[in-house]
Amino acid sequence: MIAIAAIPLLYLIKRGSEIDRASLTNLLFRDRTIEIYTTTILLASIVLLFSFIVGSTFAWLIYNVTLPFGSLPIILSVLPLAIPSYVLTYAWISIYPGFKGFWAAVLVLTLSTSPYVTLVAVASLRRIDFTQVEAGRSLGLSQLAVLRRVIWPQMRVSLSAGLLLVFLYVLSDFGAVSLLGVNTFTRNIYTMYRATFDRNGAAVISLALILLAIFIIALEFRLRGRRTVIKSNAGIVKTHVKIKVGWLRWPLLTLIFTYALLALGVPFWVLTTRFIQNTENIDITSLISATFSTVIASFAGAILAMALALPLGILLARRSGFIPKLAESSILLTHALPGVVIGLALVALSSKFPWIYQTLPVLAFAYALLFLAKAVGSIRASLQRIAPILNDVSETLGITGFAAFRRVTLPLAAPGILIGFLLVLLTAMKELPATLMLRPTGFETLATEIWAATSISKFNEAAPYALVLIIIAAIPTFILTRPDKSDSQAQSEGLIQ
Amino acid sequence: MTSLEVHELTVHFDGRPIVENLSIVVPSGAFAAVLGPSGCGKTTFLRSIAGLITPSSGTIRFGKQLVSISSLVLPPNKRHIGYVPQEGGLFPHLNVAENIGFGVSKNEKIDVVDEMLDLVGLKNLATRKPYQLSGGQQTRVALARALAIKPQIVLLDEPFGALDAALRNELREEVCNLLKERKTTALMVTHDREEALVSADIVALMRHGQILQYGSSRNVYSNPISPEIAVSTGDVLLLKAERDASKSIRFALSQIDLKGEIELGQLVIRPEEIIVSPEPSAASLSAIVTKVDYYGHDAVLQLLLDSWPDEEITARIAGPLGFSVGQKLWVKHAGPIRWFELPHKK
Amino acid sequence: MRRIKAAIVISLLLLTVTACGIGGSDSQSLTVYSGRSEEFIGPFLADFEAESGIKLNIRYGDSAELAAQILEEGENSPADIFISQDAGALGAVAQDGLFKKLPDELLSLVPASFKASSGQWVGLTGRARVFAYDPRAVTTLPTSIDDLTEPSWSSKFGIAPTNASFQAFVTALRIIRGDEAAKNWLTKIVANNPKLFEKNSQIVEAIDAGQIQLGLVNHYYTWEVSKALGREINAVNGFFGPGDAGNLINVSGAGVFNTSKNQSLAHKLIEYLLTEKTQKRFVSETHEYSVLPNVITPSGQPTLKEIGAPIVNLDSLKDLKQTQELLIKVGLL
Repeated sequence: MIAIAAIPLLYLIKRGSEIDRASLTNLLFRDRTIEIYTTTILLASIVLLFSFIVGSTFAWLIYNVTLPFGSLPIILSVLPLAIPSYVLTYAWISIYPGFKGFWAAVLVLTLSTSPYVTLVAVASLRRIDFTQVEAGRSLGLSQLAVLRRVIWPQMRVSLSAGLLLVFLYVLSDFGAVSLLGVNTFTRNIYTMYRATFDRNGAAVISLALILLAIFIIALEFRLRGRRTVIKSNAGIVKTHVKIKVGWLRWPLLTLIFTYALLALGVPFWVLTTRFIQNTENIDITSLISATFSTVIASFAGAILAMALALPLGILLARRSGFIPKLAESSILLTHALPGVVIGLALVALSSKFPWIYQTLPVLAFAYALLFLAKAVGSIRASLQRIAPILNDVSETLGITGFAAFRRVTLPLAAPGILIGFLLVLLTAMKELPATLMLRPTGFETLATEIWAATSISKFNEAAPYALVLIIIAAIPTFILTRPDKSDSQAQSEGLIQ
Repeated sequence: MTSLEVHELTVHFDGRPIVENLSIVVPSGAFAAVLGPSGCGKTTFLRSIAGLITPSSGTIRFGKQLVSISSLVLPPNKRHIGYVPQEGGLFPHLNVAENIGFGVSKNEKIDVVDEMLDLVGLKNLATRKPYQLSGGQQTRVALARALAIKPQIVLLDEPFGALDAALRNELREEVCNLLKERKTTALMVTHDREEALVSADIVALMRHGQILQYGSSRNVYSNPISPEIAVSTGDVLLLKAERDASKSIRFALSQIDLKGEIELGQLVIRPEEIIVSPEPSAASLSAIVTKVDYYGHDAVLQLLLDSWPDEEITARIAGPLGFSVGQKLWVKHAGPIRWFELPHKK
Repeated sequence: MRRIKAAIVISLLLLTVTACGIGGSDSQSLTVYSGRSEEFIGPFLADFEAESGIKLNIRYGDSAELAAQILEEGENSPADIFISQDAGALGAVAQDGLFKKLPDELLSLVPASFKASSGQWVGLTGRARVFAYDPRAVTTLPTSIDDLTEPSWSSKFGIAPTNASFQAFVTALRIIRGDEAAKNWLTKIVANNPKLFEKNSQIVEAIDAGQIQLGLVNHYYTWEVSKALGREINAVNGFFGPGDAGNLINVSGAGVFNTSKNQSLAHKLIEYLLTEKTQKRFVSETHEYSVLPNVITPSGQPTLKEIGAPIVNLDSLKDLKQTQELLIKVGLL
């Protein structure tokens, strides 16, 4: 399993080792590398900070305040997950042509990553035993103090893992930074491939990126501390009382609406107007076949990702120590690498097997590899919430091994597996660089069609594909906003032990 | 049904011995209780009998079958034991019937589940999910699930711990009867002394990974092998006693001749062995009531003897209460003399 | 549970079916890697299929990314032919020895300036580097790329330094003037504060929007952006003086892989693309220049002769490494 996750790393090390010493020092120690380091770290850190602020504020509002319109606030604040960052960037550029540079990238990336934080934060809020909050209040803590001293310590672990994924996402994002002209590692790697066909040099820069990612992952491991699930023995209060804020709910709601306007309204407005300008030129057949291909490929990818992630998730949930840590880090590193690097690594490997090269299974494998971190994260979390005693009981009743897994572990972890599945599905639908390299020849997805049209500046023709992509990606996103049934019932069902 | 024999069992956890050189025999069909405070290793002991923990040495036998020798163990699924963990450990995703039938093979499932639902009286709740059940119902389902596989031995880990007192007594009686009717060999671990004494044929007292005393309920209660053991089975009045010049032992309530070398020791007296009366009688001593703890069915009095002001005496009295603080009354001791050397003095 | 199982089974079935459907090949088929976008080559390839009966499996991608992919595949490449949008990507593949020399009857169709001297690839269409400018704002046109280093142009023009076409131009400049002079020019350009873009089309759009007055692009972008926007735009093409490096003619081209088992079919495709009929279609539909002598030029554009292109061996445009190092040194990459 580690070997699978390490394919891109091994590829990079092999490529990087082929470079001669002079070009190596030239590459690594020029001023520009330092500049790229600085830009990348700054961009990722600022986006992390902003999406933390936006995501946790929204999560808190959604969970704790009586907002009007039922589940609309959560849907609005999570739905932007369905919009690829390159589409969002195009949309912003087209309504505001001077939109460019570092802060533009901060805006776009914050808009597209904060739903992830919102989602993670809402999920962990829903898991908190509300009796603890009541106990905190009765001990004289203010709302804010309860937040800081009772709720925050319990959210810290999952939130910091979520924020790590945001950071790594920014490291590997190409769409936004290239369109906005921000020189991050990923853009630099692309430029090297494009301009010089210098695969070895690009590998060295990728390894430098990995170094940065390792540092960040190690930092997160430290911050996260020991993964402990805090259990309360007290009785269960299932009815969680939200705060009534009166007229204040309108300005609070406006916050969410403003976000939705920037992250959803802008791309929808741009795409719809482009779409309307060009209705007579829509190629319905290719639209339908691209939709079908996108669904097939992303489903296959998501299923494969879950198949790989389950054993890994089990390993990480049950054991601690060097090997699991290594496995977790290598998966996370894969998440930090730009799609083009993963794509080329798989090209190098799978082209040796002509019967499988550029077939759907390899594309699915690429998706699985790219988004394994998301799948493993949610599976691990749901496995950790299964009381170990249930496996013991099952064993004493004569049910062990696969049967126990199928009858006990799988149904109990199902909600987490579903979340992981949806996240991979959703992200795979939007994936471009690896798709371009590894899809079967002639197999066009919505993302490749959008690329084909935009690469020759036919934005109007890209619009229907982008709209359909957003709509089908919205379906898994929408399911993600539904409360996880296992969370609300977890405590009463004895899942948390 | 079959007997359980544990011989010199030692279990380590994180390099620390949790169970040490523990031996116990539970005859076929008997209900044994292991009584000990939390952290004494009783759950670890139970789990190693179930096969969920691998011991580092010692043997475990179910009847003639050797299930564990040193660290060679039969896996739990091959042991045919009925394990009822703390708080039941019901599968939250399965309903009552599915929980009960979990370990039963497909073709027997319907009949066995039916029989078990009848046995524990939950026929009408068969399709409920665990979170819709009360604590007592959950325990019953857990027991039914364990019995459904026709186990050689049933292991119960604090089965009534989470229940309120009234329900607890009722369910305990029900479960004991059920196990006895079926002549099931059962081992229960608990920290509740009353629970252990009432339900079990055999009580084993466990401390620090070892069994300190073992026998019938009555025996371990009346004949503790140390003051510490005495405390673990019931309320105790500890009184200082020393050998005086006349070689007889003197303590607060009387003076008796006892042979032996011990110079200074402790007497263990159960509060109910102190007889209290408002009138003086032969060999009784006068005392003043300093405190009354009223429990309804009985009461505990704190008394100060006029003749021995160093130590307070505790007496348990039954029935209607006729005493109040400050009242004068007469006490005498009517019970066995259990006397132990004070551990810290020669 | 049962539903999940069913879903898995169905997906696996679909996987196999799709994999087989696409993987199946017969002798009369060619696998084409095309760095030229579908819009600009698809119709031509479709007609070839119809006329020849040869089935084409076409894989579209970015020229440079496809080149990187081809280099990574090496001997294992499933492709028969690589059609690239620019000479640089072809040169990189040729350098790794992955192309087989084309037959003389194909090579002889095209003038020496539009093919590899080794004969490993041949040009298909030509495009000229030009400057696009805002006719309302610019009164005196630059006659040389050196004019853009003048203070009068400061902050008023745009370039796309990460774009392959700009890098091909810089490579040509290095070949024509030498590395030192090329560096000199680039340094002065950087000092003159150009607006940097990712794409040529973005430069033209910026001129149209009045953000800049002039930009270095390929000749067809004014036409293309105007077509995409569906209106006349405020940007037209201009040429530098004859022989100026800024007038470089680059080509799109094609090469056939050593490993291809369908050499003659691949040659047929190239031959088809080089017929006068097809070349005329390129000129009218994609607004590019023909690589054949004596074929009409795109409407509104000067002939290749009139442009006065610099004489550069296009084969040498593959040598982008030093170009990139130069661009890095001056801070454009």
